[in-house]
Amino acid sequence: MNLLDIRNLSIELIHDEQSILAVDKISLSMKEGEVRGLVGESGSGKSLLAQALVGVLDDKWHVHADRFHWRGIDLLHLSIEERKALLSRDIAMIFQEPMACLDPTTSIGEQLTEAIDSGQLSGFFWQRKQQRQSAAIKLLHKVGIKDHNACLSSYPHQLTEAFCQRVMIAMALARRPILLIADEPTAAMEISNEGQIFRLLASLNQLKNMSILLISHDIENITHWTNTITVMYSGQFVEAGTTTQIFSKPLHPYTRALVDSSPSANLHLPAKSRLKTLPGSIPILQHLPIGCRLGPRCPRAQQACVKAPSVTNFHGHKVSCHFPLTPPSPLPKKIIKGDN
Amino acid sequence: MSELLEVKDLSKSYRDKNYWFNKKTTTVLAPISFSVEAHQTLAIIGDTGSGKSTLAKLLVGAEPASSGCIYLNGKALQSASYKQRCQHIRMIFQDSGTTLNPSLTILQLLDEPLKLNTPFDEVHRKDLIRTTLQKVGLLGDHMNFYPHMFSGGQKQRISLARAIILKPQVIILDEALASLDPSLRSQMINLLLDLQYQMGLAYILISHNLGIIRHFSDDIMVLSQGEVVESGKTRDVMTNPQHKVTQKLLRNHSFQLTPKK
Repeated sequence: MNLLDIRNLSIELIHDEQSILAVDKISLSMKEGEVRGLVGESGSGKSLLAQALVGVLDDKWHVHADRFHWRGIDLLHLSIEERKALLSRDIAMIFQEPMACLDPTTSIGEQLTEAIDSGQLSGFFWQRKQQRQSAAIKLLHKVGIKDHNACLSSYPHQLTEAFCQRVMIAMALARRPILLIADEPTAAMEISNEGQIFRLLASLNQLKNMSILLISHDIENITHWTNTITVMYSGQFVEAGTTTQIFSKPLHPYTRALVDSSPSANLHLPAKSRLKTLPGSIPILQHLPIGCRLGPRCPRAQQACVKAPSVTNFHGHKVSCHFPLTPPSPLPKKIIKGDN
Repeated sequence: MSELLEVKDLSKSYRDKNYWFNKKTTTVLAPISFSVEAHQTLAIIGDTGSGKSTLAKLLVGAEPASSGCIYLNGKALQSASYKQRCQHIRMIFQDSGTTLNPSLTILQLLDEPLKLNTPFDEVHRKDLIRTTLQKVGLLGDHMNFYPHMFSGGQKQRISLARAIILKPQVIILDEALASLDPSLRSQMINLLLDLQYQMGLAYILISHNLGIIRHFSDDIMVLSQGEVVESGKTRDVMTNPQHKVTQKLLRNHSFQLTPKK
């Protein structure tokens, strides 16, 4: 059974009796224990999608979906209160810029004990404070902070960015979530800290079987850590598949360009030569092209691209393009062995 | 040909002013020396607190150095003469959105360095701004726009236009490519390489993306705790790192791009 199953989710922004389709029919499904990467450049609606998942969008955003299932429960038919109770129990989220997300005026200890809900505590009310404290220390140990006393008594500005992100992860773990949504957890971090955070997330995934939705704008950063990747562009679904499929055999011209544009993927290119890249820039929300939104920048665009393409599935490798690159031919029925 | 930019024993240390007697000094940057030629790129990498941003500030003159000299074309740069320095050494910052004054149009933004540093009249200045904007891949008419009307990549191009408008010889890129989206980043790298080819610029690239460094730079310098631990040709250092710090940095990088087993 899928942990999360979303079909054709659209998010619309109503503004001055005008509606802008910020996210256009995205499908996303996650299995238990899976690490899925969600990749898209800025303005692709990946953060919006994450916010819609946890249900923190306000009234001006309208969310529609054909199907929105969480562990088999249809969330669209639940009332808002029931939905919130369910999701806040099972899903946790961490954000980019952890220093800005923590309250600068209270100590880490207070913020962390606040995140622990009283349902987990047993015993009488005079024991509660002690239990909260020890639960907070346990959480800090889980995320690899050994010196818990110093950490609990310090304020966010006294810690480094990687430590703050660890504290954020500890807070997210307080309710023992099944799914952790990490919205660019390592943006603007030094490379060695980045490795620490990703290793921590990977170990949580392995040890606790926690599923992780890893959101990033850079495909090269997350390839090592994910099982599957979904690529978005400007609010539209582009491509989804396993990490190796996406990285070594991309079918969509946009994914191809993303992979090509990362310099570390092009070790065969001589140094200081020109990198392959798409012309132009990402369209802004007020002036979205019709049909396939990559159209004006796409090297393979043809007349058919003014209509939004439907999703084609090649053995679990989904792509949304009229003219995919090298569509894989159907597998030969019999594999001949021993010929060479 | 002599080196374009030569740095000799440049160092920076701060003195703790709290103690009257027994003054303590903290050294941020131990004396370092290096040189950059025209058409070349020097990359500087290092962890937080390794002094790479301090080095950039010293080069551009935002902070006075404690000791050492900077020579440009063989002539020593005086620490007080900003006029000479800001014409030849320019800097691009990480966050292009916040380094452009939101209340000025692009024309006014780019006019300012010209007014202060050149004797040109208004018509000439406007012409120069138009050609510079075209050089970085924008339109001349963009000069009447305000910064908020541009996207992130375009703002970074405007910062670049502001850097090259005085025809400098050295440009310092302090994490200038880090906050850009991948496809825009490649466009920007291509643009920087083209400009280097056309104008003979020397770049000093401070970055922690080793992929970019590998592609973009000729020489590399690894800083740790304010000291140079390794330097040399980028290709040699990348393929055969000698120092522990370099090896650690490269190991962290190797997690990128190797799909999970």
